[in-house]
Amino acid sequence: MFFVTYLRRELHRRMRQAIFIALGLALGVGLVVTVAAASAGVKKAESGVLSALYGVGTDVTVTGAPPGPPKPDSKSQNNQSSWGLQEGPNGQAEICTSSGKCTNAAGKTIDQLTASYSGISASKVARAARLPGVTAAAGGITLTDNTTTFSRSGSSSQSSFTLDGVDTGDPSLGPLSSASLTSGHSFTAADTDARVAVVDAGYAKSENLETGSVLTIDEVKFAVVGIVRQAEATSPPDVYIPLARAQTMQLYAGGAGSLTGEVTTIYVAAASAASIPAVGKEISRLLPGTTVTTEATLAREVAGSVSSAAKLASDLGRWLAVLVLIAAFAVACLLTMAAVARRVAEFGTLKALGWQTRRIVAQVLVESASLGVAGAAAGAGLGFAGAAIISAVAPDLSAMVPGPSGGFSLAAGQALGPGQGGIPRSAGPAASRMVTVPLHPSVTAGVIVLAVILAVAGGLLAGSLGSWRIARLRPADALSRVA
Amino acid sequence: MYKLTGVTKLYHKGRRALPAVRAVDLMIEDGEWLAVQGRTGHGKSTLLNLLGGLDRPTQGSIELDGTNLSTLRQTELTRLRAQAIGFIFQTFNLIPTLSAAENVETALIPLGIGQPGRQRRVAAALESVGLADRAGHLPAELSGGQQQRVAIARALVKEPKVVLADEPTGNLDQDTRDDIIALLERRWRERGLTLILVTHDALIARRAQRTGVMNKGQLTIQTPGPAIPPGNGLSVQPPSR
Repeated sequence: MFFVTYLRRELHRRMRQAIFIALGLALGVGLVVTVAAASAGVKKAESGVLSALYGVGTDVTVTGAPPGPPKPDSKSQNNQSSWGLQEGPNGQAEICTSSGKCTNAAGKTIDQLTASYSGISASKVARAARLPGVTAAAGGITLTDNTTTFSRSGSSSQSSFTLDGVDTGDPSLGPLSSASLTSGHSFTAADTDARVAVVDAGYAKSENLETGSVLTIDEVKFAVVGIVRQAEATSPPDVYIPLARAQTMQLYAGGAGSLTGEVTTIYVAAASAASIPAVGKEISRLLPGTTVTTEATLAREVAGSVSSAAKLASDLGRWLAVLVLIAAFAVACLLTMAAVARRVAEFGTLKALGWQTRRIVAQVLVESASLGVAGAAAGAGLGFAGAAIISAVAPDLSAMVPGPSGGFSLAAGQALGPGQGGIPRSAGPAASRMVTVPLHPSVTAGVIVLAVILAVAGGLLAGSLGSWRIARLRPADALSRVA
Repeated sequence: MYKLTGVTKLYHKGRRALPAVRAVDLMIEDGEWLAVQGRTGHGKSTLLNLLGGLDRPTQGSIELDGTNLSTLRQTELTRLRAQAIGFIFQTFNLIPTLSAAENVETALIPLGIGQPGRQRRVAAALESVGLADRAGHLPAELSGGQQQRVAIARALVKEPKVVLADEPTGNLDQDTRDDIIALLERRWRERGLTLILVTHDALIARRAQRTGVMNKGQLTIQTPGPAIPPGNGLSVQPPSR
């Protein structure tokens, strides 16, 4: 009780100094908390972008090479209705079949499905699943449905939506795994090749679709069984259908090829974070010519303000916080040493009265630690406030992420070559796309604990220097200063 | 009983060694009142610090009840001061943030006495110096005389064997000085303390049983006290009566 009384009275006596020390520590700690919260928020935004690209639970993705001309299957080879677009004698757009018959495109609507990547044999999915360090693997197909409508006046308009073929047998992998259901239900194991679809909430709203609606893809009607919402600020597919259905979709208008027995993407879950690099290497050996992507490699490719923010938080933010903290520690030490110097006679008297040095040292340490705790509490508050301010005023971050090809558009004048069986695609490297992510700094319990430790450490450091001085104090010298 | 043998204290300033106390031989009996006079800077306070274990002699030995203080570790010296030696300072040396009662209590903290026991003894100590009604006052709220009374209470509350008083009336006016000395004298008589008092004031010194004079570090006893065995090297002059 005496100890507490002495502590309280002494801190009250040098209230201004105590507040100064506590505030200094609070500023340093507050900055550390804010930077840590911002870093966590940016990291979360980054992870959100990355996980939404491939879904939660996916550690490695494998994609095929950029697509080339689709391989005709038996259906397309027997189908004489392959067509192309070319300019007619009067400058109008004409649709011509491979047999050479051309009709005016005016008033017609052409629907094309294009794959984002070349196909990978579906058997490779099972082989990937058996690799050491892999817990599961699932295949998927990413397509884009482009619709071009030619008006009677000769102009054309286009619309498109993205379409993912999902392995209904393994819902834990792939882009649908991170979606949350808002209406209806998702695929069941029985929906392996059913004509059912799950639609993204944003697309459903824009197309007035709801559970029970009918969606036509490649002249096949699909019943919408569920509406899902993906993680914030990502670019999810618009429509999901069972993988087996997607594999039978005819690519290009008029049936020029399909991905039967193939997938365009393999989603792999690793046994642990540590095994991801090794799994990536094994898959590259198993599937040469494919692109193997992990979160680490994808993070390097992500450009835009999200990566700038990450760099800012980790480099400038961290060093700024460290510098401010060092300055706060230095101020605390100097002020504590000054306070001890002013109390030399007091400590000398206590020694003369029979107080052991360790007792006096304990008194000083507790005084300093108390200021550290006060600084920690204020610093945590400042950190929360800083995080809230960032959340309120910071603009959304943007991320340019590599993604699947968005398909191509028909162009007048594109000729149909003999035997090509389709319109040449404007294929190239997978197009990047911009996604927007909000920045939500998050103050975690771990950061608060760190803040408390830093502030108390700062107080104890200051107290230790003062205590060192006390320990070396000779009572006679101390008392002579009063005389 | 104190026994000082060839006690010397040197302070080093650069290469020079300045003697504050030179070859003092002295014996102080239990219950004796010794007053030490002398001009400023001639070693009075240094001698008191050596007697209180606040400093160590450069040469010689200081024994208190047969224990050589020079051979004790710092923690042992501190414990000895806690138990057996009370200090009274010229500038009172009260802790400014603690009340009168809490200042007196600081002398009991090292003894490990529980709070009820401490409070009882503190109350009695303040009562004995006439300040029971000022227990809750801070030093800044007390006069010089009252502060010194609190310091006396603090020195006596642990019932020490020895009280060392360094110019206890140096900062007080004449009337207050008399009161303080009278109080000290009363306590000395009541408790049979060994009282060693440093003072400039000859009138105060005359009230002691024995008087010594420090002159450039050397102690000369002017008023003989209890019988001192010969050959101890004391410089003793018969009192001029």
